[in-house]
Amino acid sequence: MESGSLALEMVGITKSFPAIRALDDVTFACAKGEVHALCGENGAGKSTLMKILAGAYQPDSGRILLDGRAVAFSHPAAARKAGISVIHQELSLLPHRSVAENVFLGVEPTRYGVLDRARMRVDSQRLLRRLGSSISPHAEAGRLSIAQQQVVEIAKALAFDARILVMDEPTAALDGAEASRLLDLVKRLSAEGVTLVYVSHRMPEIQAVADRVTVLKDGRAVMTAPIGEAPTSRLVRAMVGRDLADFYPSRAAKPPGAPALTIRSACNHRLANIDLVVRSGEIVGVAGLEGCGKTELGRAIAGDEPFESGTMEIAGAIVAPRHPRAALAAGVGRLSEDRKREALLMQQSLRDNATLIQRAFAPSFGVPTAAPMGVEETDERLRRLDVRAANFEQEARQLSGGNQQKVIVARLLARDPAVLVFAEPTRGVDVAAKAAIYRIMRDFADRGRGILMISSDLPEIVGVSDRILIMREGRVAGELPGGANEEAIMAIAVGHEESAGATLQ
Amino acid sequence: MTLALKAYAHRPALARRINLAVVVFLAFYLVIGFLQPAYLEPAGIMNFLRRAAPLAILAAGQVFVLVSGGFDLSVGSLVTLTVIGGSMLTANDPSNTRWAILALYGIGLAVGLINGAVVAYLRTPSIIATLGALLAINGVAMTWCGGSPRGYLPENFRMFGRFVFHDVPFVKIFPVAILVLAVVAALAWWGLHGTVFGRRVFAVGDNPRAAQLAGVRVDLTRIGVFVISALAAVTAGILLGGFGGVSVDVGAGLELQAIAACVVGGVQLMGGRGTVVGAIAGALIMTALFTLLILLGWPQPLKDTAQGLILIIAVAFGAWRRRRAG
Amino acid sequence: MSSAEAVAPAPRRRGVNPPVILLVGSVALYVSVALATGQPMMLHLDGIVGLLQRMVGLGLVAIGQTFAILVGSIDLSVANLISVAAVLASYIMQGRPDMMAPAVAAVLAISAIVGAINGALISRLEVNPLIATLGVGLFLQGILSASFTNFAGSVPKEFQAVAYGTFGAAPYSVIGLFVLAFLAWLLLRATKFGAHLYAVGGNSEGARLAGIRTDRVMIGAHTLCSLCAGLTGLYLASRLRSGAPWVGRDGVYDLESIAVVVIGGTLLAGGRGGVWGTLAGVLLFAVLDASFNMLGVSAYPKLVLRGLIVIAAVAVYTVRSKELTA
Repeated sequence: MESGSLALEMVGITKSFPAIRALDDVTFACAKGEVHALCGENGAGKSTLMKILAGAYQPDSGRILLDGRAVAFSHPAAARKAGISVIHQELSLLPHRSVAENVFLGVEPTRYGVLDRARMRVDSQRLLRRLGSSISPHAEAGRLSIAQQQVVEIAKALAFDARILVMDEPTAALDGAEASRLLDLVKRLSAEGVTLVYVSHRMPEIQAVADRVTVLKDGRAVMTAPIGEAPTSRLVRAMVGRDLADFYPSRAAKPPGAPALTIRSACNHRLANIDLVVRSGEIVGVAGLEGCGKTELGRAIAGDEPFESGTMEIAGAIVAPRHPRAALAAGVGRLSEDRKREALLMQQSLRDNATLIQRAFAPSFGVPTAAPMGVEETDERLRRLDVRAANFEQEARQLSGGNQQKVIVARLLARDPAVLVFAEPTRGVDVAAKAAIYRIMRDFADRGRGILMISSDLPEIVGVSDRILIMREGRVAGELPGGANEEAIMAIAVGHEESAGATLQ
Repeated sequence: MTLALKAYAHRPALARRINLAVVVFLAFYLVIGFLQPAYLEPAGIMNFLRRAAPLAILAAGQVFVLVSGGFDLSVGSLVTLTVIGGSMLTANDPSNTRWAILALYGIGLAVGLINGAVVAYLRTPSIIATLGALLAINGVAMTWCGGSPRGYLPENFRMFGRFVFHDVPFVKIFPVAILVLAVVAALAWWGLHGTVFGRRVFAVGDNPRAAQLAGVRVDLTRIGVFVISALAAVTAGILLGGFGGVSVDVGAGLELQAIAACVVGGVQLMGGRGTVVGAIAGALIMTALFTLLILLGWPQPLKDTAQGLILIIAVAFGAWRRRRAG
Repeated sequence: MSSAEAVAPAPRRRGVNPPVILLVGSVALYVSVALATGQPMMLHLDGIVGLLQRMVGLGLVAIGQTFAILVGSIDLSVANLISVAAVLASYIMQGRPDMMAPAVAAVLAISAIVGAINGALISRLEVNPLIATLGVGLFLQGILSASFTNFAGSVPKEFQAVAYGTFGAAPYSVIGLFVLAFLAWLLLRATKFGAHLYAVGGNSEGARLAGIRTDRVMIGAHTLCSLCAGLTGLYLASRLRSGAPWVGRDGVYDLESIAVVVIGGTLLAGGRGGVWGTLAGVLLFAVLDASFNMLGVSAYPKLVLRGLIVIAAVAVYTVRSKELTA
């Protein structure tokens, strides 16, 4: 791993945008074959740094050197030609094209000027096998699951012999088993001499796979060290300047009260025989592997892909929401896992975002800022949730992920629902905002509401939930008390109940 | 001048956009006034506004559809139908005017409901839906009058477009058309910026999925905006019926002019952003531009050319500004 | 390796189905109407050839529009460009056979330039495609109408062979249409440019990050689109024996070309679809026209039906969509 010249050096990179200075004299270097983790809060500059490396942005000042030679990329095409490949958080596959067409996007092989489809098929198949996957090259990319799409993205990155591979939050949408497969792949690629930059919030993964780690904070590189000298606590402190200890809030102060949400024998085309209860005052975590149905559970409760049979009760009243509006009327709110696509009005102000649900139910010809949608009440709600913004008339797209999430929470709280479903509440949220969101959830539950927290982040499930439900194949497969260890949860999720000694359903 | 522009650039974006359109209009109008001083007199201003009223009304309706993320290409043909239908229904008998106008608004309502329903429930993109409506409505208009429209409308129908109050203090003359425009403008402004419904229109245009999940009735909102646009078209048609004779191409191209007016006034084509003031200012700019061309002696067809140019410049400018803001 | 990984190959490109359905449906419709109205001669060779000939005008421009829509854009300037091409061709030729080649060269050159300008406005200046092409179209129309008010020049007999000549029973124009379609299909399916076209239409940011020069693809697509419009103008000049400034507008080539492309299965947002679907859509329109004639539907009600059918034909796809279309 320690080799003579550095495969990649970014020296003195500075980049400013009209509103902020994103990067300030950042130096970042990797040796050949190294797995170098890059972490930092959202807004710390990781994304910008990688976009500069990929040729999507140009730095205001600074140099980039590949194998000791200075390079400058005016367009992503140039970076690709130089052997740099980036797998972004937002998957960029073409949904209507086949896997093979996606894998070779931009670098299609030709024979006598004509597309060589046979070679595309054969080579993409070989790449997918190398990654341990049996996805067919003919499959339509839009029909694959997120995890499969991720694999195709990696195959795409390897399709032209990338020397430097940047992975931005690669496991964000993967479950435990797929994530560990990915980490194995990373190690394998590293052994083959590919230099990897691994951008992630997930400490266990960084500890497992990285050789060295760099922490960015407020646009500066504040720490670079071999992983052996960088335990998680030191990393977190470098990222936020705060200790890890008070990260997760304490458990519920009082024992849970009456049931806020009761579901009996509920089914739809993805879920079977769901029985669960969330009492007022509790945070019930729902864990499980990709495809287990936990996301669908959240949607069904919120009326988005509703249950087709069974019963549901909110605070004792029988309800059967067939669409989101009905669920909201019945007292259920859901924080979607994909806030950009399903929650945020990017060009509208924070106030408009925070009052959306109220305005959905208010009389059409009424004044939009009449109480309780008034400016003062809305601002007060936003302040109480600690939304950081220059002013509340700002557009939602100018906020960081964590603050955007808080605005959506403000929107959901406005009608004081009895039950809140939080799906992946801290996805794409920096460390400081994460802690804030956990506090918000605990606070909400303590006021006598019920929370169902659906998450793929096991430490989060363990740290925050009062009770943990584990789903598998569309059913609730097991239940564990809060604070249970991750192995026990994983065991049930995978189907080895014996070794978990847990409560079975 | 540059200092003023620089200070200008630091104001909040939305206010900037409205004022810019108004400023550009005033600039155009001053040039017109310089070339033909009669335009700077009250009577000249009133006449100008009267001529601009139909387009401004169309733009005030179209802005709702654009902000919701759609397009209404049927308004031009609806104007034609209004004029032709007006002449057929009144049959040159002034006592028919009242219920003829009522019937025309009824037709407009129906068209708006159908357009909205096709987009909301059949999930057809509004470009296609209103395009089909454009063809169909033109066909209905032609079929109704058998290809040769009757030449005239009764005086009390034409009154809305033609009638002018004389000896009015300050402005000397006051066309009824401006009154109609003022009422429409006030209603539109209230509808889009002063009601809960208006905020829903912005939400639906910005992110329809998020709006739906937040409990907004996206389908009803869509139907609403198309109804508003259609009713505005009927109103514009009534005014235009007063301006000139009855013909089959009175409304031709007006839908694109209305969209152009909105764009020039800062309305975003992908939805989620726009103002009624901007839309109307855009319509005034377009009318001022056409007036300017006539004064400069440009041949009629070059009006299209100028319209094309200003459209591109306005949108390119907007895109450039957006890119600079990051 | 989890079992969830093994994905059965998805059915090859659902775009195959709409063309086939349209084809079968159109044929069925034509045959049944011909038989029902007691006009079996329409099923003879002459009738079929007549039907195919009806397809040429719209077909040529629609093939070009397919490129524009596939790449996620749209072209509203084609009707005006067709007029320009027809007038220019006929004006340069002045009835002289030796001026045919220069005329064709000039028309194609101008078409390519217009297309490149469209593409550049959209990709470099980031102007919305609707506005950019609308603006360019208006610009052209204005200059054309200001320069010519009637038929200009004429087309020599040799050139009229394009529209009227036959190779045995098959008209040159129909052969030309299918040859063009085949070449277009080849380009889309078997070249890197074609693959990149689909990419930019499907996910332009993803395409850019994959190293594709999206601006060049956009310019290329629009250049092809405008070239097809130019060819259409040449064809019309040949058929009408001269060119006039209104030939493009009269044929409603812009709106109808968009309609047939979408009806043929190409997504309005781009990224999926193809040329054969477009031709099937053109066939449908031709069959409808012929059927209306056989049924004795007069000109104006035909318009109404056309509009309704445009909506219905697209709604057939979109009604099943779960998306909240605008």
